Amino acid sequence: MATLTAGRKPVLRRELEALVGADGVLSEPDELLVYESDGLTLFRALADFIVFPTSVEQVSAVVRLANREAIPFVARGAGTGLAGGCLPAEGGLVISLMRMNRVLEVDYDNQIAVVEPGLVNLHLSQAVGPRGFYYAPDPSSQQACTIGGNIATNSGGPHTLKYGVTVNHVLGLEVVLPDGEIVWLGGRTRDALGYDLAGVFVGSEGTFGIATKIVVRILRKPQAVKTVLAVFDRIEQASAAVSAIIARGLVPAAVEMIDQLTIQAVEDAFGCGYPRDAAAALLIELDGLAVAMETQAERIVAACRDAGAREVRTAASEAERQLLWKGRKSAFGAYGRVSPAYMVMDGVIPRTKLPYVLGRVNEIVAAHGLRVGNVFHAGDGNLHPNILYDPRKPGEEARVVDAGAQIMKVCAEVGGSISGEHGIGLEKADFMPFIFTAADLAFMQRLKDAFNPRGLCNPGKVFPTRKSCVETGPVAYRPHAIETQGLAQRF
Amino acid sequence: MPLLDKLRAIVGPAHVLAGTELSPYVIEGRTPEAAVRPGSVDEVAAVIAQAAEAGVPVVPWGGGSAVGVGVPPARAGLVLLLTRLSALVEHEPGDLTATAQAGVTVAALQAALRARGQWLSLDPPDAARATLGGVLAANASGPRRHLYGTARDLLIGVTVVTADGAVVHGGGKVVKNVAGYDLPKLFIGSYGTLGVIVEATVKLRPVPDEERLVAVRFERLEDAGAAVRALLASDLIPNAVDLMDAPAGAALGLPPAPATLAVGFDGLGEQVDWQVAALASVVAPCGGAKPAPLPPALWERLAAAARDAFDAPAAMMTLSVLPGVVADTMEQGAEAARQRGLASAWCAHAGVGHVTATLRAEGERQDAAPIAAVLEDWRAAAHAGGGHASVTWAPLPVKSALPVWDDAGAAGRLMQRIKAQLDPNNVLNPGRFVGGI
Amino acid sequence: MAHATSETPAPLTLHGLSVEGVNQCVHCGLCLASCPTFSELGTEMDSPRGRIVLIRSLAEGRIGLSDSTVQHLSLCLDCRACETVCPAGVPYGRLIEAAKAEIERQRPGGPVRRAFRWINFDLLLRHPRMLRLAAAGLRLYQASGLQALVRTSGLIRALPGTLPAWEALLPPLPAAGRAPLPALTPAAGARRGRVAMLTGCVQSVVFGAHNRATARVLARNGWDVVAPAGQGCCGALNAHGGDHARALEMARRTIEAFEGERVAAIVVNTSGCGAHMKAYGTLLAEDPAWAERARRFAATVRDVAEFLAGAALRGPLQPVPMTVTYHDPCHVVHGQKIRTAPRALLAQIPGLRVVDLPESDWCCGSAGIYNLTQPEMAGRLLRRKVRHVLGTGASAVVTANPGCILQIQQGLHEAGSPVRVLHIVEILDRAYSSEGGCAPLPNLPPPSAAAKPPLERGNSNA
Repeated sequence: MATLTAGRKPVLRRELEALVGADGVLSEPDELLVYESDGLTLFRALADFIVFPTSVEQVSAVVRLANREAIPFVARGAGTGLAGGCLPAEGGLVISLMRMNRVLEVDYDNQIAVVEPGLVNLHLSQAVGPRGFYYAPDPSSQQACTIGGNIATNSGGPHTLKYGVTVNHVLGLEVVLPDGEIVWLGGRTRDALGYDLAGVFVGSEGTFGIATKIVVRILRKPQAVKTVLAVFDRIEQASAAVSAIIARGLVPAAVEMIDQLTIQAVEDAFGCGYPRDAAAALLIELDGLAVAMETQAERIVAACRDAGAREVRTAASEAERQLLWKGRKSAFGAYGRVSPAYMVMDGVIPRTKLPYVLGRVNEIVAAHGLRVGNVFHAGDGNLHPNILYDPRKPGEEARVVDAGAQIMKVCAEVGGSISGEHGIGLEKADFMPFIFTAADLAFMQRLKDAFNPRGLCNPGKVFPTRKSCVETGPVAYRPHAIETQGLAQRF
Repeated sequence: MPLLDKLRAIVGPAHVLAGTELSPYVIEGRTPEAAVRPGSVDEVAAVIAQAAEAGVPVVPWGGGSAVGVGVPPARAGLVLLLTRLSALVEHEPGDLTATAQAGVTVAALQAALRARGQWLSLDPPDAARATLGGVLAANASGPRRHLYGTARDLLIGVTVVTADGAVVHGGGKVVKNVAGYDLPKLFIGSYGTLGVIVEATVKLRPVPDEERLVAVRFERLEDAGAAVRALLASDLIPNAVDLMDAPAGAALGLPPAPATLAVGFDGLGEQVDWQVAALASVVAPCGGAKPAPLPPALWERLAAAARDAFDAPAAMMTLSVLPGVVADTMEQGAEAARQRGLASAWCAHAGVGHVTATLRAEGERQDAAPIAAVLEDWRAAAHAGGGHASVTWAPLPVKSALPVWDDAGAAGRLMQRIKAQLDPNNVLNPGRFVGGI
Repeated sequence: MAHATSETPAPLTLHGLSVEGVNQCVHCGLCLASCPTFSELGTEMDSPRGRIVLIRSLAEGRIGLSDSTVQHLSLCLDCRACETVCPAGVPYGRLIEAAKAEIERQRPGGPVRRAFRWINFDLLLRHPRMLRLAAAGLRLYQASGLQALVRTSGLIRALPGTLPAWEALLPPLPAAGRAPLPALTPAAGARRGRVAMLTGCVQSVVFGAHNRATARVLARNGWDVVAPAGQGCCGALNAHGGDHARALEMARRTIEAFEGERVAAIVVNTSGCGAHMKAYGTLLAEDPAWAERARRFAATVRDVAEFLAGAALRGPLQPVPMTVTYHDPCHVVHGQKIRTAPRALLAQIPGLRVVDLPESDWCCGSAGIYNLTQPEMAGRLLRRKVRHVLGTGASAVVTANPGCILQIQQGLHEAGSPVRVLHIVEILDRAYSSEGGCAPLPNLPPPSAAAKPPLERGNSNA
């Protein structure tokens, strides 16, 4: 791959400016610095340029230019990802889609919307809300993350238990392929013609191209919603309650668990009404028809009480419900109040393994001399242990990384997965062999080669690491602590 | 050693069929060179590796219910029968997931799951014959897809044997998983062209307390279309919204009506009661009659209502259109057939825009030209409705008179690149799929 | 997450001002979509998270204060919308003020800019007499017809730098001689207690009517209202403008002016001042002689709506039959976390219909002197605000800050809209006046027929 020489940069900048306008290209060192991480600061990589196209034609032109120059490129939305997926691992261009953020069309009769990738997830629900609709996938970062980013990672969220993840709501995509060609994958109707390329594109972490238009389903808001808070003195009781709810033939819209450390952090942040002394709480939401909502809620309450809940109450008002959800969705950020840094883990296990795995997580973290907060999608078995640490204390970051790897191994051993919604990105590329064989990975690599034969589109992600001699941009790249200690490597 | 001998060595002589034993496995008039019934995933892998080495194409075969779909093959090659791979590998009710081998029939799988209070919310036609692997490969679905979606919403893990005989896994056993590329999506609806599905893990649902199917009769198809739109805009949560024209309704034995809407509900008893009552007030302003209960046995016949309308069909087509234009498409399509002197039957999973149409064969000798012309008209109607249409069954002369599959455009070229990467020697079901794949 | 890996990390500072708060930022990005400048530009250097990276990098010595860095930090409105949504509790306002102080220290600018700052921060804001004198001069400029001439002749385009924006925002100044707030406005009806009012610097000159209305409404609710002599500017404008030293001095003087009064609360009707005065405790925390006094003072500061909403409004209230919408001033809703109080007050006024304003808690672009220093971005945000206001169909916008009132009113004028912008105390005052809703709107100039130049002109050479 070509290294961008100092002399080449100004020339390239002028060419990029000709494509997207002078205000659409960033290359000042301080500006590039701001883009060196996403929501996971464990990894940093500097781009040569940040480019802001405003149309599919501009995206295509920028990608073609990158191909001509043989420089890598990666799309970026709001940068709230938690796996380093949008970092320019090998330098080159970051293509920010934040200026393509319109709702292009809403077809209420057919319950679809056509949006641009830079649209903030929540803004779509806000746009269609007055007509009684919403967009179902609701990652906790939905107030900031973009739908394009959701496409890349196939984002989930609390309500995926009932409504599915991003891919279940995407019908079609206009995509700029890694060679610059513009194609439509899928369309507006429910069934694809030929291979389900839109389905395959979603969750490909930006390695198959750049989505520039997205056709999503919008759903009618449910007639009624009921939110139940169940409070437990022991975390095992809360785990057992999750299985008990499922065993009673109920599929709530969401079943979220939040442990004591996390409860205390979010109470400090927003005072959401979680009891600070509880070992764990379950936030359970039912939605659907108003009729029989009480009957279902009674089943939930009974299941929680039987599992040993000390208190079970339902949100008395929409304001109380919103506050409980605000606490849940702000949990990651709230750790900033109790620790200078944390690492979010994202693993999935079969629901029935919850009590065992939570116990193992606590053991592993304690053995590393660290603290952990848990807040996660219990109904889906999607764990988010958040390991708290102080990066300024020597050796702590390395212990965090090691504990994280051990937790991922436990998830894999019980038949689970190493990522439920955050993606593999840079963070977990080396963990892929925990759950995939060499043949599996080779097959995926061939699939990638069909989309991205030159490997210029978001290189260095998803697959286990390989060495490379590519240098990053002009601002000196500082190796991360875990790299100097040989715990992780960049390529 | 000749290929057949090698295959016998792999699966045992009793499981390699040849000669007259092949008569059930004739594909569009072409007799395969052999049919083989492997008994394990490893045997499937070994068989495919041998076939690949010998340069013989492999046609995966489950229940055979969708074998007539697609372009007639240039060479039938080796039929790979998956019926011996029929185990329910794992079912953990607490996880709401199950893993089964590809050759289990949908009916057998559902029976085993229901015995433990759960079900796979996928209800394709011909459940007694169709296999899990075949349903996934053909992306078959039924009326309940209105609420529960299709295979892409339910399949969470898949094991396939690839064109070079490797065993590859995608997805996993957990309901939420973004590790690696979403291979399950790749294989759904791929008609065996990228790999042979040998095992699948699916999401399950608890069996609802109650389920009910009701029929609403309309004097005009367009009124039924308006009722579908009103229903979708209402608070009701039906699990099926199927629309039938008169011939399709007659095939199900429904009272004669220009249009019948079959609507399903499930859930707690009071939820079902309330919704059936509320349905009446939703459809009445559009001219719908009072909802009348239908026998539960009709559920499994809904998806095939148009197919079953005629003893001798001349062609069948599946159209994917926007839900809002389903009734219009049905009306225009029937009119296009009438103009060429042909009768047609139409049914649709109306809420999701999945439309099935059948043309009736007239007399002994059938001229392919007018049939193909009608199918072209239907395809044009699908395009006008924002979608696409493909022939799902037709005699060879008709299939050679128009493209079986709709044109996938630029995406088709990408599909060809994928095929070239994953099956470079064209071993798996070659020449039958979209874009000549 | 922090980048530092040294064993004993030194506290992060910018020239002595602590920016240790950057370590609370976990880079989650939840602030991005709530930031008006990021929303407009889509560039992360112009987002809270990005500016925190810049501030941290400056403090760590990883970058210097380049033109680019100055530009991005200066573009921050300091509206603190990010603080409202930040789960980690990053004290963003303190960080950006430290950064702006650093910019002023390192880049005082050319002689014209320095003179301008001196006139504003040293001369006018510190010396109320000078401010009144300046106001008299401006009044002359308006009354003499010179303003009309400047605006219509195109001469305005020749004004240097940001002066055209200054000029366009210049409010019609009330005639001189209107009585300043009396030292004591006695309670009407049963007496509840005694409160003090900040009469403000610019506020008392430009919006004396708001102060008088505030005093009347407080009095009608049973409060004796004192306006301590010797008070001046609270120092908020200096702090936001990066003039840290002067801000400290003005805070001390303000505390001194009020300390002697035995009052239940110090009531403030200008949001920037209220938010700033509530933060005196932090501002003077390092000063042993003043820390405790500042904390005690800050604890008694109340926004006028916050204070009045503590109890039901005393009747009788006359109907005010109109439709209004409420715009949350940044330093009320984000700076002081007051969201429900003003709406609760409006809900008590008979006949008044209140409709929701989309993005009601988004900055209008006024932001202290931001509309003067960053006229282009201010104009974009103003047009966005005006679009939302017009979408509500309300006949008036109710808000609670002089900057917002000037800015939004000017934007509405430009859009040719007759919609008025009222301070919340004005509408309360109307409800207490004997004519109620039939009373003439107080202190509102007629929409000027003279076409004002578009807001964004003059920014290219700013």
